[in-house]
Amino acid sequence: MLFPDREALPSQGFHQICKMKMFSVAHKTVFVVDHCPYMAESSRQQVECDVLTKSRAQGVIPLAPVSKSLWTCAVECSMEYCRILYDVYPKDKLVNYIVSDSEFHILNSWRREDQSTHELMSALAAVGPPNPREDPECCSILHGLVAAVESLCKITELQHEKRIALMDTADRVANRGRIICLTNAKSDTHVRMLEDCIQETIIEQNKLAAGSDRLMAIQQCELVLVHIYPQGEDTLVSDRPKKEISPLLTSEVHSVRAGRHLATKLNILVQQHFDLASTTITNIPMKEEQHANTSANYDVELLHHRDAHLEFFKSGDLHMAGTSTRENGLKETVTLKWCTPRTNSIELHYCTGAYRISPTDVNSRPSSCLTNFLLNGKLDSSQFLPAERAKAQLERHTRYWPMIISQTTIFNMQAVVPLANLIVKETLTDEDVLTCQKTVYNLVDMERKNDPLPISTVGSRGKGPKRDEQYRIMWNELETLVKTHAGATDRHQRVLDCIIACRSKPPEEEDRKKRGRKREEREDRTEKNGSKETDDKSWQDSERLKGLMDKDEQESEVIKDSPDSPEPLNKKPRLTSEEIQPPERTKGPVSLLTMWSNRITAVNSRKHQEFFGRASSVNSKFELYQHLKDENGMDVHENGKATR
Amino acid sequence: MPTVVLMDVSLSMTRPVSLDGIEEFQRKNLAVHGLNMLFEHMASNYRLEFTSLMAFSSLWELLVPFTRDYNALQEALSNLEDYDKTCVEAALNGVSNVVQQEWGSACPCQVVLVTDGSLGIGKGSLRHSLQTLKQRGDDKKFPLPFPFPTKLFIMCIANAEELQMTDAMDNLEELLCLSGGDGQIFTMEGPLCMKSVQTMFGKLIDLVYSPFHAVLHCGNLSSDVQVFPRPEPVVMDEEVEPMPRTVSTDLEIVGFIEIADIASPPVISRHLVLPIAVNKDVDEVGTGTTDELEEEPSASQMAGKSPNFCVLLHGSLKVEGMVALVQLGPEWYGMLYSQADSKKKSNLMMSLFDPGPEPLPWLGKISHLGPISEAADNPYGEDDSKSPFPVQPQVKRSYAQNVTVWIKASGLQCLRLLKCFLSLIKKRLTIKKCPPTVKFM
Repeated sequence: MLFPDREALPSQGFHQICKMKMFSVAHKTVFVVDHCPYMAESSRQQVECDVLTKSRAQGVIPLAPVSKSLWTCAVECSMEYCRILYDVYPKDKLVNYIVSDSEFHILNSWRREDQSTHELMSALAAVGPPNPREDPECCSILHGLVAAVESLCKITELQHEKRIALMDTADRVANRGRIICLTNAKSDTHVRMLEDCIQETIIEQNKLAAGSDRLMAIQQCELVLVHIYPQGEDTLVSDRPKKEISPLLTSEVHSVRAGRHLATKLNILVQQHFDLASTTITNIPMKEEQHANTSANYDVELLHHRDAHLEFFKSGDLHMAGTSTRENGLKETVTLKWCTPRTNSIELHYCTGAYRISPTDVNSRPSSCLTNFLLNGKLDSSQFLPAERAKAQLERHTRYWPMIISQTTIFNMQAVVPLANLIVKETLTDEDVLTCQKTVYNLVDMERKNDPLPISTVGSRGKGPKRDEQYRIMWNELETLVKTHAGATDRHQRVLDCIIACRSKPPEEEDRKKRGRKREEREDRTEKNGSKETDDKSWQDSERLKGLMDKDEQESEVIKDSPDSPEPLNKKPRLTSEEIQPPERTKGPVSLLTMWSNRITAVNSRKHQEFFGRASSVNSKFELYQHLKDENGMDVHENGKATR
Repeated sequence: MPTVVLMDVSLSMTRPVSLDGIEEFQRKNLAVHGLNMLFEHMASNYRLEFTSLMAFSSLWELLVPFTRDYNALQEALSNLEDYDKTCVEAALNGVSNVVQQEWGSACPCQVVLVTDGSLGIGKGSLRHSLQTLKQRGDDKKFPLPFPFPTKLFIMCIANAEELQMTDAMDNLEELLCLSGGDGQIFTMEGPLCMKSVQTMFGKLIDLVYSPFHAVLHCGNLSSDVQVFPRPEPVVMDEEVEPMPRTVSTDLEIVGFIEIADIASPPVISRHLVLPIAVNKDVDEVGTGTTDELEEEPSASQMAGKSPNFCVLLHGSLKVEGMVALVQLGPEWYGMLYSQADSKKKSNLMMSLFDPGPEPLPWLGKISHLGPISEAADNPYGEDDSKSPFPVQPQVKRSYAQNVTVWIKASGLQCLRLLKCFLSLIKKRLTIKKCPPTVKFM
């Protein structure tokens, strides 16, 4: 077992963004694999099984080499093709797999959920190997080829989505596809017969498609015919490069020996068909499990979109990076030497492209060592919410956001943090409201104790505002913050109510303060240019107050405490209002007992669900038997039901 | 995107412009006038652009290397000398060298070729270059297309009719085509005079050098910004979506994400995001008004004194080590981040992702991302020890599964094969109580 030398590996994976025409022939690939009796023949490429000589006890007969059938070879290499394709293009490069013997068997559909090697392998397992005893006369690859053309006419989910999205210009959605036929053909004439048959079927099917919503006419079809023959035999079919049979159909023929030649051929084809290229990462340090102290270097070959090499070609650095041509000269790989960047993950690097990869040799030890490491510990997936919610949250959080530190008091106070964190929430629980209220009580307590506030003295002359003025600024700011959220829910409103109630001062204290403040105000006014404005405002406010005095006392209380309003000229309304104020709201500086009882109430209230009556009480009063008022309403009816 | 101005200083540029006698100009004067106008515009509205000035005849010379000092460029324009004949190919080779030396081959570059449309004669003429295009060895390849992405703008100090009388227009069109087709040929309309050259350069300015202004939003906070260089429209799929997508002038921040989670993503372009003053009147005055500026603070100076969201954002991203995801249009996103120039200086930058709902596969669909506070459990864990990224694909890739590929004999791995058989045998023995048979598929 190999495992990576952790210190020597970076933690970055490989990713991809790629560009290819959305509906090129690569969008739809149909595999038609021959399942006729002759495919059960041996490929005659031997697979040694007898490698356990060392560990085997004496007297055991050595294992004879085995050999895969033509069918096994065809299935293996086509699955490799699909594996690489699905790795590099997890979406919308689709495969439809068809097996042909005395009839055709369609193993999957174009649907996205059917697109995986796992699905295909299960379906292939169900099909099983070709039956050598089946009548060869009934069997033909033609059944599968005809089905392939029919399948190409079927609309895929992506084609459907795009056609709907484009509406008037739906004709921009093209229908092209490729048929890869793995068979054992009899002769070049036989191949020509197959081509002609496909051509005819396309024309027929296109006629049918013209009259259907679910079918699309084929605009371009690429036939790739792979003739498979056993090793050691001469081929009866000759290779032929791509040629145009008709404007709708091109065809190419590859005559390949079964076994590793076939596998190499399909590996080359998948690269050609899907614009892939190969990179070999060399000298990756890995440790052997038995020798954890030493690390050996290994190479891993990867396939990916060929655009990943674009920058090399442009800069002409490809020779430096090194290319090597292998085997048949068709396949090239760019070699890159592994290097271990000493990077920390909190740096952003300029990156021009990221590409999905697939290891060429997926279960070789170095490949799986590398991929296991890259995937290590990343198996946790969580459910996320739509971005619109994120935008809404940003909106809530920025309703009141002072940009200058010295211009805010509350955001410099640790004591305000619990409330500031909660009030921006979309909804509040009763517990949240309690926390907010506690924050407010705490502030009241601070005020009573005359604790200093972190108000900046920058820009103001002397020592800055007096302590009670500081608190007035703080309360105003807190009220501004909470007001921006008060409309959200009743609970938000309750927090605002609490602040408004708590910051009101008992009259005598207020009076004392007022005297002090009046002096300040006078000084202020002589200094400020905007004194006229202040005058106007206070006049307006006092006029408003006069009007309100006759009205509901509670309302006048609210007005009185709004941030910038001046002290009322007449104290009378407030005196009356104080009597009406519910005891728990007479906040100002509270007694220790009140604080204690508030706390106990708060703690207790958490232990049970709040009584409906108390929760929706007005001034701690709740009218009983409200439904009886509503004599002909639904309530009576429902009440009746409930008693039954 | 840097600009190379390639100025034709061949003798033909000294041809006088026939006017009704008032004052006699050479074509060169018109070209210089147009370029001065361009440089003045850039100095006041596009001052971050790096521009270089090259002059060419049969030889080429780099008069001003890439700079933001537009006075130096104008200065060089006023000292142009006249040389022999036009040889475009040599000059383009020069451009290729100069750009690659300074910017490499990945940085897109704009080339503004200013010529009178008489493109040389005989060997070295553009006609000759284009005719011999296919008969060249690897060492003497025509310089176009450049290895770097190019926009070629050809400013003809001539009108279209004049160019069409010879094959000049055809040759220029072929040149544009060879460069990759991105760009335009501008000709003068009406008589050759200061006014028509202004009109022509005005069109170039509007097309290429008009600043991109946008409003950056983050909830209720916002800031007017200039995005530099201007983001280019992107064509997604010529067949299905031929209309290029353009970046919206309302950039909306959708959220913030850790740098480690976004993990150096691939981007199509990078831009500076600069806060600008809303009132641009003062800014438009251009150069030579420095004295006035001292008396009356410019709008940008005023902007420097009032709190700006960009400053807040930049500072926050830097301190927190995060990036802001920003929506650029329907299903198009980018990121805002702090990029350090040097130890002391850093800038707010914006990078554009490929358009689409899922530009970075390891984040999943951007529209599926949401605030941490809304998740049932903190996806980062209470102690910030884990991360929800990368998002796992619904279907595992082959390398994340226990696949078995037996194509290569080495891949067959007899040990594994035997283990496989043994487990099968055991199963069969226990279930069917009969001797095993093993079949290849």
